[in-house]
Amino acid sequence: MKSKYFVIAVGLVLALLLGSFAATAQDFAEIAPGVARHETLILENPEGRIADPDRFNRWAPGGGASTGLQQLALDALWFVDPNAGIDGEPWNNALAAEGPIYNEDFTQMTVNLREGIFWSDGVPFTAADVVFTVETLRANPGMSYHNQLALLVDEVYATDDYTVVFDLTRSNSRFHAMFTVRWAAMFIMPKHIWEVVDDPLAFDFNPPVSLGPYVLKDFDPTGHWFLWERREDWERTSLGMQYGMPAPKYALYTAPGPADQRVMAQANQNLDVIHDLSPEGVQAVISRNPTSRGWFEGFPWAHPDPTLPAVIINHEVEPLGDNEVRWALQLAIDIAGVSMASYSGAATVSALHAPPTGMYKEWYFDPMEDWLLNYTIELAGEQYQPYNPDATLAIANMVRPSLGDQVPTDEAEIKKALGYGWWNYDTDMAEKILLDKGFTRNRQGNWLLPDGTPWTIDILCMGASNPTMTRVATMIAEQWTRFGVPSEAVVSDQLWNRMNYGDFETAIAWSIETWGGHHDFFFFLESWHSDFWRTSGELASGTNRMRWQHPELDRIIDEIRGIDFDDPRGFELGMDFLKLAVEETPLIPLMSYNVFAVTDWYFWEGFPTSDNPYANPVANWSNTRFMFPMLRPTGRQ
Amino acid sequence: MRSFFGILKDLLSRDGRFRFAFIALSALILFSLASYWSPHSPRFSFVVPPNMRPNLDYWFGTNSRGQDLFWMMTFATRNSLAFGLMTAALSRVISIFVGLTSGYKGGLYDRVLMAINDSFIVLPVLPILILLNFILRGQMNLFTLSLTMAFFGWAFDARLMRSQVLSLKEREFTNNAIFSGMKMHKITLKEHLPFVMPIVFSTWINNMMWAMGMEVTLSVLGLSNINIATIGTTIYWANQHQALISGVWWWLGAPVAISVLLFLSMYLTVISLNQHLDPRTRLQRIREATTDGT
Amino acid sequence: MKNAFLRYIILRVLQCLMVIFVGITVTFMIPRFTPVDPVEQAITRMTMFQQSTHPEALEEMRASLATLYGLEGSVFEQYLGFWGRLFRGDLGPSLSSFPRPVMTLIRTSLPWTAGLLLTSTIIAWSLGNIIGAFAGYFHHKKWSQVLGVMALVVWPIPYYIFAFLLLVLLAYVIPIFPLSGAFAIGSSPGLNWNFISSVLRHGFLPALSIVAIGFGGQFLGMRSLVSNVISEDYILYAEIAGVPNHRILKNYVIRNALLPQITGLALQLGMIFNGAMITEFVFSYPGIGYLAYTAIFSGDFGLIMGIAIFSIVAVALAVLIIDLLYPVFDPRVKLR
Repeated sequence: MKSKYFVIAVGLVLALLLGSFAATAQDFAEIAPGVARHETLILENPEGRIADPDRFNRWAPGGGASTGLQQLALDALWFVDPNAGIDGEPWNNALAAEGPIYNEDFTQMTVNLREGIFWSDGVPFTAADVVFTVETLRANPGMSYHNQLALLVDEVYATDDYTVVFDLTRSNSRFHAMFTVRWAAMFIMPKHIWEVVDDPLAFDFNPPVSLGPYVLKDFDPTGHWFLWERREDWERTSLGMQYGMPAPKYALYTAPGPADQRVMAQANQNLDVIHDLSPEGVQAVISRNPTSRGWFEGFPWAHPDPTLPAVIINHEVEPLGDNEVRWALQLAIDIAGVSMASYSGAATVSALHAPPTGMYKEWYFDPMEDWLLNYTIELAGEQYQPYNPDATLAIANMVRPSLGDQVPTDEAEIKKALGYGWWNYDTDMAEKILLDKGFTRNRQGNWLLPDGTPWTIDILCMGASNPTMTRVATMIAEQWTRFGVPSEAVVSDQLWNRMNYGDFETAIAWSIETWGGHHDFFFFLESWHSDFWRTSGELASGTNRMRWQHPELDRIIDEIRGIDFDDPRGFELGMDFLKLAVEETPLIPLMSYNVFAVTDWYFWEGFPTSDNPYANPVANWSNTRFMFPMLRPTGRQ
Repeated sequence: MRSFFGILKDLLSRDGRFRFAFIALSALILFSLASYWSPHSPRFSFVVPPNMRPNLDYWFGTNSRGQDLFWMMTFATRNSLAFGLMTAALSRVISIFVGLTSGYKGGLYDRVLMAINDSFIVLPVLPILILLNFILRGQMNLFTLSLTMAFFGWAFDARLMRSQVLSLKEREFTNNAIFSGMKMHKITLKEHLPFVMPIVFSTWINNMMWAMGMEVTLSVLGLSNINIATIGTTIYWANQHQALISGVWWWLGAPVAISVLLFLSMYLTVISLNQHLDPRTRLQRIREATTDGT
Repeated sequence: MKNAFLRYIILRVLQCLMVIFVGITVTFMIPRFTPVDPVEQAITRMTMFQQSTHPEALEEMRASLATLYGLEGSVFEQYLGFWGRLFRGDLGPSLSSFPRPVMTLIRTSLPWTAGLLLTSTIIAWSLGNIIGAFAGYFHHKKWSQVLGVMALVVWPIPYYIFAFLLLVLLAYVIPIFPLSGAFAIGSSPGLNWNFISSVLRHGFLPALSIVAIGFGGQFLGMRSLVSNVISEDYILYAEIAGVPNHRILKNYVIRNALLPQITGLALQLGMIFNGAMITEFVFSYPGIGYLAYTAIFSGDFGLIMGIAIFSIVAVALAVLIIDLLYPVFDPRVKLR
């Protein structure tokens, strides 16, 4: 009796065990039948599992974006690399043969296209595809760029097979930005496929006809992986034509799971490119797997994306509308502590309102350093010099005991990796400002507003979807609490939404994103013009979520609008903006968005690094495609 | 009715499991009370050297945020315990009321109450908690969380109590009592309560387990208030720093050890108490004592 | 008697329908009270990676999205429309995977959750109860006490930690099992051994984690129930009458102790949708739970509600079945 039940129970367990062991053990040599591991590059897609994997319509909501689709199968007119670019030129003419050609008053843009490019089904790519794409998007509400195209484009037409002309409804010197890939842009559709489709919004584009050097070979119906195969005619694509054959025969984009699984997968040589990790995770994977490496060979490992995480301040919440109060809060932040808590010291900090990445050090940070050193501001009626040029040297000293030789000692090297200076950590000055403004301290030492009510600050952050920024938020909350402003990091999945509607006091997020590989600030500045200013409760237009407005800002924006994208006057206007932002503290700049993209050099070598910064290794960016022709097999099998 | 201390003394001398549980639980409560003497505020980080293994200075080690895990765990234990106790107490009130009313009154009362009851059982708690998180704008603290959990966590136990009452009502001794002219509320108190009490106790513990487990779940998914030290948020922060993979195992070890000890001792307390209070086990004890004698 | 039985069934069915009605209504209402507007969510998401959305274009975008998502009209009109669609088996479009219908997404994920969690919950329940019954009946035996201690120690470990440790141990330190996913790359879904063995191999670790933790709870519950039952008079009579041990165990003890456990099983099966979330999150398993997890972080109400409605219907039906079966198991409950 007793034994009978036990036999059944044990039998069940054994059956399961045997079933699983008998299963064909995964052979290292092949990742799928006929797909050799050493011919395959395996990359992480940070979107995770795609709920509707059979949808490849990149021009409408739904489906995955960075499943390899926008990196390997779609193509756009131009690319700007956030780093130096393959030939030291971040600007790349992809489908276009040259840059955009505007008329005198920027009301017309002409594009000359490359010849000899073919879709993966053998149909030649022509101006008709570009015209068709623009017209389709413009005609269908709900598709991406629909509203902008409807607003800006009067007419689009081809004058011959390789020339497209856009007649604009109004002067716009940055119209080409829509067609220029930073992370993504307007990709071009195959007219011969889409023209027979009734509802382009509902069309799945499955299988996707490719304009890039790879075609879809197989994908997981449950959305975990996408396998791409190099086209036989790869030289008939803009990438192959310019840089030769992409080395990996196959590319596999996977959703490897949470950060710990990514570390384990790469240590098992099953994941060549990790998109992002925690700083602890990077140290773990590098110590376990000798062929893993980050953007920097050693500390701080991470690739700085041209995005500026900052304390976004809602100017419409009292007392944060007062510039001196914002300065007080800025001086109550110890950037070394923030860097240690968030990135374990591996942050690239920035005192200026621009990401300290790519070419920006050369273009903006070097020329501005003297100005910063001498910068004096009147705070609490005193002349005060707030800049601390040695802030990052202090951070390097803090991490040296635990990381030793990995930390650069040369001052220039430190500044390259960790950024230049930051603002003083000076709570005495901050206190003077608040006292001067009529704030008082209560018995516990906490600040009261001039009207006597206690002052507290909530700092929104993203939580699990962005651990490092959560760590920034808790550290700043701690520092402000110590200073006497009880502050709390509040995790919200609705962070962007709440910021867009002004339903926040402060947040750790970003409003400043730049090309990285181009000096033009219009990318984020356009929507900061007071014409577009919206009060809290209304949807912020673009990125002016802090609701800042200033006449000088409008002057700068208007002037940028009137000059060409490449006009050298753009540098001066950029610096005018940076100086104004220092003066007015619309938000508190912290650091570049450092992404711990870790590459495994076991099967492939030649990934972009800080020494060879020809492309961005962060796997979900469209322009990671420039990595593929530069890779070389190591010969390991 | 014997005094509380009488029962305690009796149990301590008789029951080895209870002795273990009693000592462990007292130790944990003392441990959580030690938080009032903590030299560090749980809100501040980098107050001690980070990533120290457990040693004589830092008994539980220190985490990557430079916090002393010993003191952090005193706060975490205190908050988690308080949260579990409060949730369970609140939901017990509802479930006892609903379960007993429904069971005894029967008829329309039963059907209406059970219809409500079953609707509550059916509501998916996790998605609702997450949606409520939206409404409360991430301002959900342990108190509001506990209120919400109590509001959604009583139904299952009310059903258990109702079925216990139903089956008690059908039993012979109830019918005997009714025939002998005993009033229903007297029957309830005198005859049935001792049978219902074990269920109240065991559901109490189960509910605490459920509540504290849910707190861990919400925290792991990053949906709780990360500023309050609890068992769940300790695990959350350890995950944020990939503690296990980077070899800081004690960061997860501390909350796991504490929660195992906590749940274990609470569970043992309850089964000992149940057995002690259950008249049938008392009878069995007497029987065993007499058969041992012969 | 026949009439009474019919009446009982009709009442239970009516109650079940009401439960579903109340549950679905509440599920419909809750998102309407949140400050989160799906349209604004969608705009935020769509403009997130787009370069400089032109400010003036936003208003128009918002209007067109509201039309697309069926969010026009008063709440009551939306509610009526919602039921109308529901009767046609249409849960509306997913907002994050627009315009894919929620039903399609659930249909893709449901088999995985059902397969993994249903199987392992039933295994955990059966194993826990069978072994728990023995352990309760032979509570003086050494093996019973050892098992008891083991279950006691494993059961309180937070599930997440337990699952994650299993993963580290058996997928990384000793890499026998895969780290994530539901089947191997390149094995085409279908009734072939390659696919089935791959599914078993991928499902083993998540299943093991559920069985190990679930077993503990069931085991402890059943053991204490059994030790209560064996002190009942009728067991004593049976023992005195010399009925063999195994017949007492089978006919009197298990049968009586099982009743509350059966109620428990029904609810556990319904609660699968809750439990699925962490399991599938840890093991990256492509089921309903993982779907819900992504839905939450993309603010996809259509999807969250679809999953919630599924869960409601499943549990309501489970409760109904148990209610109908209860008199069969427990003759003491009179039909009313």
